[in-house]
Order: sequence, then C-alpha cells, then structure tokens
Amino acid sequence: MNPDTSLIAYASVAGMFASVILMHLMKRSSLTVWLYTLQSLLVVVLLTSALLKEFSWLLVLATLAMGGVKVIIAPKFFTELIRKHEVRFSASTYVNGPVTLAALAGLTAFTHAQFFRALTQLNSAQSDAILLSVSMMLISMFLIINRKGALSQMIGILSLENAIVAFATVTGLEQTPALQLGVVFDIFIWITIATVFASMIYQKFGSLDVSKLTHLTED
Amino acid sequence: MALIFILGIPLIAALLSFFTATTVATLGTIAVTASIIELAAALSITSSIGLNAPYMFTTFLGVDHLGAIPLVLLVFGGFVASIYARGYTEHEISKEIIGFNRAKKLFAQLHLFLLAMSLAIVTTNPILTWIAIEATTLTTAFLISFYNKPSAMEAAWKYLILNSVGLLLAFFGTLLFMTPELKGAHTGLASWSSLLSGAASYDPFIVKMAFLFTLIGYGTKVGLVPMHTWLPDAHSKAPSPISSLLSGVLLNIPLLAILRFKIITDAVVETGFTSGLLITFGIFSLIVSAAIILVQKNYKRLLAYSSIEHMGIATLGFGLGGSAAYASLLHMIYHSLTKSLLFFSAGNVFLKYSTTKIENVRGMVSVLPITGPIFFFGVLTIIGMPPMGMFFTEFSILARSLTVHPAITVGTTAALIIVGIGFIRHIADMSFGEPTGKLPSGEQNAWTIIPLIILAATLLVASIYLPAGIQTFIARAASTL
Repeated sequence: MNPDTSLIAYASVAGMFASVILMHLMKRSSLTVWLYTLQSLLVVVLLTSALLKEFSWLLVLATLAMGGVKVIIAPKFFTELIRKHEVRFSASTYVNGPVTLAALAGLTAFTHAQFFRALTQLNSAQSDAILLSVSMMLISMFLIINRKGALSQMIGILSLENAIVAFATVTGLEQTPALQLGVVFDIFIWITIATVFASMIYQKFGSLDVSKLTHLTED
Repeated sequence: MALIFILGIPLIAALLSFFTATTVATLGTIAVTASIIELAAALSITSSIGLNAPYMFTTFLGVDHLGAIPLVLLVFGGFVASIYARGYTEHEISKEIIGFNRAKKLFAQLHLFLLAMSLAIVTTNPILTWIAIEATTLTTAFLISFYNKPSAMEAAWKYLILNSVGLLLAFFGTLLFMTPELKGAHTGLASWSSLLSGAASYDPFIVKMAFLFTLIGYGTKVGLVPMHTWLPDAHSKAPSPISSLLSGVLLNIPLLAILRFKIITDAVVETGFTSGLLITFGIFSLIVSAAIILVQKNYKRLLAYSSIEHMGIATLGFGLGGSAAYASLLHMIYHSLTKSLLFFSAGNVFLKYSTTKIENVRGMVSVLPITGPIFFFGVLTIIGMPPMGMFFTEFSILARSLTVHPAITVGTTAALIIVGIGFIRHIADMSFGEPTGKLPSGEQNAWTIIPLIILAATLLVASIYLPAGIQTFIARAASTL
C-alpha cells in the first residue's frame, strides 16, 4: 500500500474498532444498526483503497456487492425487524456496564500481547491496523456472548465478519474477487435466513430476548 | 464428467421438487432417481481413482482418495434418506402433522443440502470448501425448525449462531493458511495441493495459530467438545431423514477439512502439535458424551450424543496416526452407516409412539416387529460389539494409543464401557416390557423399512467381509495423513 492508501486503511480500521466498542455501549437497537451500517461502509472504503492499488472490474463488482449487502440490504432488514416487532431497546446484557468495559480493555490488551503480535509480520507497515482488527474480532465475539437480544447477536456475527475482512485487507490476504463474491453471497443468504428466524422467534416467544429461549432445557 | 452429475443432479432435483411435483410419490421418485444417478457417478469416480492419481475435473474440482470416502458415504446416505423421506413424509401428511407444501420444501432443501455437502468435498479450493460448509448450515437451518415448535426454533437458532461463529473462526484460520499463496506468486485460486507445496515458506507460529483456528472453527461443526452444545439439540429436533444426514454424513465433511489442514500443518511444524490437539479434543469429546449418554432421557438426543462420541473416537484416531488413522477412516464409514440406520429406526419409533422420551417407549420389539430388532442390532453395532466393524476399529485405535500413552487407553476404554452400559440400559428398557398404551403391532409403510434393511445388510457385510480393494483404497487415503 502506498502512504495515502495506508492512511485510509488505518483510519478505516480504527473507525471500525470504535464502532464495535460503541455497539457495546448503545442501548437503542436503531443506534446499533446505525453503527453496523457505518462499520460496513468503512469496510467498503477499505476495499476501495485496495482497488486504488490494484484495479480490476471483478474487484469493483465484489466491492459493490459487499456494499449492497452490508450497507443497504442488511440495515434495511434489521430496521424492518425493529419496526415490525418494536424492539427499540436491546441493552440487556449478561454482565454489567463496568465489567463489560473491563472486558473490552482486557481483550484489546490481550491482542496486543505476544500471541497475536506474530501476525504483524504479515504486513509490518500496518501492524496497528492488524492488531486493531484482531481486537475487533474478539470484541465482536464478546458482543455475541454478552448480549441477550437476537438482533445484537446477528450484528455481532456480521461485525466479526467485517473484522475478518478488515484483517484480510490490511494484511494483503484478500481473496480473489470471484471468491469474495462467493463469501458475500453466503453472507447475504445468512442475513436473510437469520432475519426470518428472528421474526419467527418473535412470533413464538413474543420477544427477541434469547435468554427467554428455555424450551430445550425442558426436553 | 461424473462430477457434473454429482453437482448438477441435486440442483435439478431441488428445482423439480419445488416447482413440478404434485404428490409425495413424485417427490420420492425424483429423490430416489436423483440419488441413484449420484451414487453411480460417485462409484464411477471412486473406481476410476483406484490406486491411481486423484480424479480431476477442473483445476478446482476433483476427488482424491481422502475425499472419495466421505463422497461415497454422502451419496449412499442421500440414497437411503431419499427412500426413507418418502415414507416418513407420507405418514406425517396422513396424520395431518404437515401439509404437502411442507413436504415439498423438505425435499427441495434435502437436495440443496446434498449439493452443498458434495461441493464441500469435491472442491480443491479451501475458501470454496468454507463457502460450501457454510451453505450446509444455511440449507439445514429451516429443516431443523421444520416442525415449527418453540424447542425446534430454539435449536435452529442455536445451530445458526454457534455454527456461524465457528465457521467465521475457520475462515480466519483458512486465510492465515493462505498467507504464502497470496503473498507470493498470485496465480489465481489456491488449492489444497498448492498450499502443501508452498509449506516451506510458512511461518511455523502462524501455521500453528491457523490450525488452532480451523480446528476450533470446523470442530464446532464436527461437534467436538466443548463446541458441541448445538449438536444434540439440532440433530434431535430435525425430521429423522434429515437427522440421519446431519449425524451420519455431514459431520465427516468438516472433519475432512480439519484433516486437510492437518496435512499442511504437519509439513511445517512438528507432527506432535496437531496430534496433541486432536487427541485432546477427541478424548474430551468421548468422555463428556459418555457421561451424558449414561443419563440420557431422550432417544434422539442419545443418538446425537453418540455422534459426538464417535467423532471424538475418529478425531482421537487421527491424532494418534499410523494404524489408528486407517482405523479412524474405517470408523467414519461404519459410523455413517450405523447412525443413519439408528436415526431411521428412531424415526419409525417416533412415528409409532409419538414421543422421543425413553421412558414412554416400551415393548418396541413387539410393537415394531422389523424396526425393533434392527434398532437393537444398530445399538449393538454402535457400542462396538464384536464381530461388528466398530469393535475392530475401536480396538485398533486403543492398541495404537498404548504406544503413545497408557492414560489415553485407560480413559478411552472407561468411556467406551460407560457408553456401552448406557446404551444397553436404554435400549433394553425400550425394546422389552409391556407396550405403552394400546398401540397396534406393525410398521408404518414399506418406504420406512427398506432403508433399514439395506443399511443393516450393508453393515453386516462390511463388518464381516471388507474386500481387499476397499481396504487398499482406505489404506491409500490414510497414508496421506
């Protein structure tokens, strides 16, 4: 990456990292969706910066597909879910606010420790961005574990996927555009199915709070 | 050319089932015809490989010895599941539990599920393998929630979320494995063989990290403990034809992906690294599932935990290597056949008794005169009673474990004994005694019996006489590990 694209890449990853931290702090579902939209937009910016380095029409197509699915379709599905089922708040967590913040700090510190530091050799010019993207992966997983809302779990998974795409881009491990299209197609299907399931869960349980799903334990 | 049939026929069958079929008989005919063609194609590919080089259709589609084994198991599993699905859905429609449209969706999704699994095996590209394995999650999520009950919905949600997280970790690991390929001469799609040939340029620490992520990621899909929590729920809530494929066929596919990454990792770092991890996950899965099998109250969950146990045994064998790797491949074959047999039998028990609780099923042998004894036979097989094949595979793995560490042998033997006691206790309770309620004796229909007979006969023959050609083929596959 030349200096300009390197700066764009770092700024994008830093923005994505900030967005996942804020997802943990937001109480309103619509704000969480908005943060996911912003995070996805930054992924598109990141891929566009890769495009500036090495142009190909297939990569343009893959970037557009990714933008279409993550920036437009997914938020639209989630907004519709919120509107339909009036799930305005999804702040319910398994651990309280201060413990959550301590966990976020711990996860970030862990990724900057020896174990994950080895990954920076993949692109030493972007070592900070690499470690931030790995932190983002762990923090996204923590979002899935810590939040009780189905919507937050879905966004957590998509945020984890965004973190992996960011990692692949800043390390130069991004796939050939044909494969990227395959992955985006998978994600699109995943979003569709997960949204349908979330609706079905609401209809069955009258809530998107997954801690209320206790029928399996009764079997 | 045969690979076109393997990938094209399920797609055509899915479209025909969804858009043209008007009766369950038509759905069944489409499914059975499609599966016979796929079976013929898979056997043709396997025989063409023989002891020669892998069968390559294009640079990114091909089948080697290691891939041919789960491929044949897949199409054979698809064949018997197609026959069974006809009888099962006919019965469910007659009892007005489901309507024809639901049956149509079940068959269409069954074909798509088979397609996704086939693609995962026959592609030589690790990312395409990942896409296909992810597709298996997506095609089966609605099948798990098929009965639309709250518990089935929960099981499907748990399945979707946990597997998605697991597979994303596997994706991350896969990307790390592709470092030299993508950082070096970028020649298009990477393949398993190109990753292996580039092993010299890997960083050992990154490879270790990559293997750990792929093992945890794909291990979630295999159902290895402690990433197994979705499996008993999903496998027990799905309709029986689907449960048979989830347990008997699907679990082999992510395990195959782990083995392919193991081959690459072993070329870079000391073999002890992957072996240690596989042995640990294998034995842990075996011990945890054994304890739960002993106290299980639901016979479909019992079978699901048994799948975790057997995947644990296979993983342990692959970790031990040498003769145990051969035994593990053979174990995968026996497990696939037996687990399909057991889930079909469990399906027949459910259709008759309308319950999955062990305590509510009594006198199975007299109420279901064919299913009952076959179920009993299946249980004896799954616990590794001699002279059935699983006895020899488990014995070989135990024998090999003695050369590594006696503690593994002791732990494994104890767990296998607990599993045996648990299964015998449950099946004895279900098989004998006074039948619950006033259930008439007799089977549902021929379609639910034919697959049981086919599987029982195949198991019996494969246990007593395994042709030398097949043994050599498996040995060839094991030699690559």
